[in-house]
Amino acid sequence: MSAYGTSRHHPPSSFATSASVALFRRLAWEGTVPLEIRVDPKELPANSDRGLECYYIQAPRVSYLPLLMPELRRFLMDVVFDDAAARILKEEDWWFESEEGALLKWHWPIGLIYDNHAISASARTSSAASISTGTGTAPELQITPLKLILHLASPPTEKLLLPPSAEACKQAFMGQLKEADFIRWGNTKRMTGLRKAEQDGIWEGIREHNFDDYWRVASKIVPTTIPATRPSSPPPSSSASAHARPPSSDPQNAQDRDGAYNVRSVPVRLYLPDGPVIQDLAPPIMEDGTPNTLTRYLSTHLPLLFLSQGPTPDLAFPLVQGIILPPETEMAWLGACMAGADGWVNVCVGLLQ
Amino acid sequence: MAQAPGSPDEPGRQMSLPGESGEGVSPAIQALETYKKKDPSKVIVRFKAVGNAPIMKQNFYKITAANRFQAVIQFLRKELAWKAGDPLFTYINLAFSPAPDDTVSNLYKSFATDGHLIVNYSTTAAWG
Repeated sequence: MSAYGTSRHHPPSSFATSASVALFRRLAWEGTVPLEIRVDPKELPANSDRGLECYYIQAPRVSYLPLLMPELRRFLMDVVFDDAAARILKEEDWWFESEEGALLKWHWPIGLIYDNHAISASARTSSAASISTGTGTAPELQITPLKLILHLASPPTEKLLLPPSAEACKQAFMGQLKEADFIRWGNTKRMTGLRKAEQDGIWEGIREHNFDDYWRVASKIVPTTIPATRPSSPPPSSSASAHARPPSSDPQNAQDRDGAYNVRSVPVRLYLPDGPVIQDLAPPIMEDGTPNTLTRYLSTHLPLLFLSQGPTPDLAFPLVQGIILPPETEMAWLGACMAGADGWVNVCVGLLQ
Repeated sequence: MAQAPGSPDEPGRQMSLPGESGEGVSPAIQALETYKKKDPSKVIVRFKAVGNAPIMKQNFYKITAANRFQAVIQFLRKELAWKAGDPLFTYINLAFSPAPDDTVSNLYKSFATDGHLIVNYSTTAAWG
């Protein structure tokens, strides 16, 4: 996957064709992460089959932990627990922790949980480096299973914030979609304009991990970088694409009011290792008329880590959907192609040291 | 701990950054510590009842920006003397429910109206 994020020869804006938007949306959607789920050995019921208490899954980045529960439960009940234990155990009491003891939230996309864990590891100097850096080269991520501990009792409800049900997760997801809509346009008309069946359909698309079902509805709310009206452009050819401009820099396309370059702000959150989440407005076009880029956004909000303009190299790197992005990536393109299913671009910031 | 090359014992020689975290800590970690500091500033939150939710006598509060939205919900429940389990739905700008782990600071930066973060509350679910 990382090969796509490091193709520096083309500015992202030259990817503003319908085929490439569909391609990147598909790549983001199909992204999966390896999880190793282990029942806390101290909580394993008597007579459990101890050889098998580990469950491995390649989970979709856009999915959520509550959506994995039915499959996980089936495995544990069928293979690991005996009938007596299966009768007593209540799924409502189950909850997850990372190996390091960090609580995993029900309402975070699984891809975000995975990336957030990777950047937190990057800040622990003693930990085995999951991110290796050579001098002068981009860091390389090593994909290893994220180890989760499954607890079977006494959930810390206050800290988990939400009950572990798929329904609560759906409500939180809808809230995030609406918040993203509000960030983009200053209202939630596009979301509230969806019929009930469409709102349910978008969630079913995630539950079933069905790209077409999800995007059939999501395309009504997530703006695209493709110009709505194509001015008399020559047929695509290699020479024509060399002259392709982003819609933003072409005043002729100003009527493309619903486009990714016309939103008030791109929904974006910055995640720092073991800590703060920073959310602020990210207009797609700067006051000087040039597209806002990831490096501009990062050096404005995290100037101590991203010193891009100076002689000193950056102290950190941005990870979106598991990919280390080139600094010149445009924010509008990120919002259109690399956002999570909830509409948010989650930028995890890892440390280089 | 990682040592800055060539300056294991002399913090004075390390690159100086606003983070104050002592010796032998990499500049990246120092920068991170700075961003982890809690914002002590306060912002004005204005509560507005929706539907037949009870109106608050005082509806302006200064709330520490570093708080999570969950703390605002708990504060509101306390002010309304709401019992555990009684339904209370909270929204920003009559539009959406934020994630409970989002901070007041983040919400204020993105959604404040005339210097206030407007929090609507309702006894029934509204706006989907």
